[in-house]
Amino acid sequence: MAISVPADAATIFPPHVFDQVGRAVQDQLFDRLADISDDLNTIGDKGFKPRLADRWEWSRDSLSVAFHINPRARWHDGQPVRASDVRYSYRIFTDPKVGSNVTSEISTIDSVSVRDSLTAVVWYKQKRPEAFYDFVYQIYIVPEHVYKDIPPEQLRTSDVTRKGIGSGQFRLARWDAGQRLEIVADTANYRGRPKLDRVVWSMVPDAGAALAQLLNGQADFLEFVPPDQLRLVDSSKADRTLPYPSLQYAFLGFNLVDAKDATRPHSIFGDRQVRRALSMALDRKAMLQNVYGTFGRMSYGPFPRSLSYADTTLHLLPYDVNAAKVLLDSAGWREPSPGAVRQKNGRPLRFSLTLPLSSRPRVAFGVLIQEQLRRIGAQVDLDQVQGKYMRRAFQLQIDDAPAVWLYDLSTVAGIQRRIHPTVLRADGWSIHLPDWTIPPNERIARDRVGLGGATP
Amino acid sequence: MRRYVAARVGQSLIVVLLVTTVSFFLIRLAPGDPFSFAGEMAMNPAVRDRLRAQFGYNRPMVEQFVLFVGNVARGRLGYSHSMHRYVGDVIVDVLPRTLLLMSVALLLSFVIGVAVGALQALRRGTWLDRMLSSVLLAFYSIPDFWLALMALLALGYWVPIFPAGGMVDQIMHDYMSLGGRIRDVAAHLVLPAITLALLSAAGIARYQRDALLDVLPQDFVRTARAKGVGERMIVLKHALRNALLPVITLLGLSLPSLVGGAFFIEKVFAWPGMGYVAANAIASRDYDLVTGTVIAGGIVVTLGSLLADLLYAAADPRLRAR
Repeated sequence: MAISVPADAATIFPPHVFDQVGRAVQDQLFDRLADISDDLNTIGDKGFKPRLADRWEWSRDSLSVAFHINPRARWHDGQPVRASDVRYSYRIFTDPKVGSNVTSEISTIDSVSVRDSLTAVVWYKQKRPEAFYDFVYQIYIVPEHVYKDIPPEQLRTSDVTRKGIGSGQFRLARWDAGQRLEIVADTANYRGRPKLDRVVWSMVPDAGAALAQLLNGQADFLEFVPPDQLRLVDSSKADRTLPYPSLQYAFLGFNLVDAKDATRPHSIFGDRQVRRALSMALDRKAMLQNVYGTFGRMSYGPFPRSLSYADTTLHLLPYDVNAAKVLLDSAGWREPSPGAVRQKNGRPLRFSLTLPLSSRPRVAFGVLIQEQLRRIGAQVDLDQVQGKYMRRAFQLQIDDAPAVWLYDLSTVAGIQRRIHPTVLRADGWSIHLPDWTIPPNERIARDRVGLGGATP
Repeated sequence: MRRYVAARVGQSLIVVLLVTTVSFFLIRLAPGDPFSFAGEMAMNPAVRDRLRAQFGYNRPMVEQFVLFVGNVARGRLGYSHSMHRYVGDVIVDVLPRTLLLMSVALLLSFVIGVAVGALQALRRGTWLDRMLSSVLLAFYSIPDFWLALMALLALGYWVPIFPAGGMVDQIMHDYMSLGGRIRDVAAHLVLPAITLALLSAAGIARYQRDALLDVLPQDFVRTARAKGVGERMIVLKHALRNALLPVITLLGLSLPSLVGGAFFIEKVFAWPGMGYVAANAIASRDYDLVTGTVIAGGIVVTLGSLLADLLYAAADPRLRAR
């Protein structure tokens, strides 16, 4: 199977993997101890499917779980998988010198010990409903004998981490950086031979070229088809589109603090009334229809709707342009003349909207937002940047930005880490971006509410 | 002649040095560095700082430049963080692919340009001349990436006679015979090469037309006609050879635009050459790879210009005598 992707995987070494291609390849090359079931239930261990561990048992106090490694499991170089590999994997995922992306997600785990060559025991600091998930989902088991001689701080640049030696049903056959990555079936795998013989990720940076490759048969699979191109694919005899639920959602983020002094509120967005007015001036349903047709769904908060506990009863601000104008008037932002940009104390209601160049839907949303806010007297300057610099835009205190983030919101812990409880109660919801400055008063309020979680 | 070549080589070295210096500072002045961004999950700042220190990116820029020049002088172009390989190895891999694309495109552009220019000169003032002028002007004005996308759409999808991007069939190439592999690469080469060639051929044809129009009224052509030489022979053997001199100059001038065009063309057609790699390197702030590709591109351009000058000198006895 040939898959067209816009960019190569930056790495396939599990502690460092962060991009979509890297994740997809990692899932085929490496195994977890157990895998989450299709209903995405993260509570307890019910429904988790055995992977490298063929069984497990909890201690009486629920503070440890012993995983029994499948004795038939082998690394791709033929060495047997051992409990010591589990311990080593935990070490490198938590070693600050390695700099794993998920260290904070497994902070509830105390240690991993080895009972015998095929039994690893995971110890927790406290009882938690998602304790099992925390370990088995976040940590891929990697071979100790392959990496143990490399100093942890050199793992990020070591060529060994690009060999992809894991225990998964596929093994890495070839990786021409920036060009193609190929995996082949591991015919002697302990989980059996996979149905596909070979899978090739082909890097095609241009979206039009990628689509053309799909349509003329050079590629078999393309994950994302722009909404305006769906008709092309559907009219093809060989290809078809399949919608699938996603944990991904988009939002317009406001910068709440002053660009020069993070202890002071933003001169426009620091005022809750203004934020409400701007939200009420946007016809979100019409924009969604315009950009995504029938494929988009309105979000009722930071909970992806594909999750069972997504709350669709959260109050949404109505689309009401007149009410938005009244709110702006009452906040002191007045039109000097009909149709002109509003002003307050001589400062125009003007701000920039940062958009990723790589996302056509978000660029389209930007244009629609710009036009709708113009009608209530706000001037929006569109600032298009490369996708990977969106985070930088937040760090640089750019006014606001429509963003899509794939934070782990599928778990209670993930939500605790990302959702801002004070704003959740008062104004809808807000996201904590790890690098984004949080006003000190809000940080205090967050602590008072007591949801805790990792400090961003 | 030797002094001339030595002077041209010296000039070329200065050009490469200047271009490299500019690109070295420009890429470092852009926001970010190779470790600044790790997708949606930020890299641990301590790890990032350590990596920056390890590769010397935390040092003053002038110090970095001095180190860089010293390394380049010793033949070390550095390490590519996006490709996880030494820059020299990356360039050794990708440069031949770009040279293959450029040389085929160059050859095609000259064949097309000279043929069309000659035809226009011989049919001067006719509807054919005017129509070809309009078509050439259109090609000259079209942005390269747009033409590439249109070529992809037309010949890769609507009438799918050529592969839509890539350099080889990703699934079957390894299982093909040698002949099959060559045909596979050739098939993938057609669209990017023709796109690049059409863009350059427009300029060449204009030059060729004017050069031939200058030559055709000259005495030696009249003499040949008076001697009863056939018109085809007059054009091909006498007029065209003399009219080729200005076009040879264009060979050197075409190289920078071909290298520059390759950046977009390679990206659109996913042709894994130097332009494709350089574009990705810029996006990921892969400092050493950016400067490495600039150096390699600069050398290709200056060597090409030098070659064009030498060809010109070889073709023009007056210059050779000097």
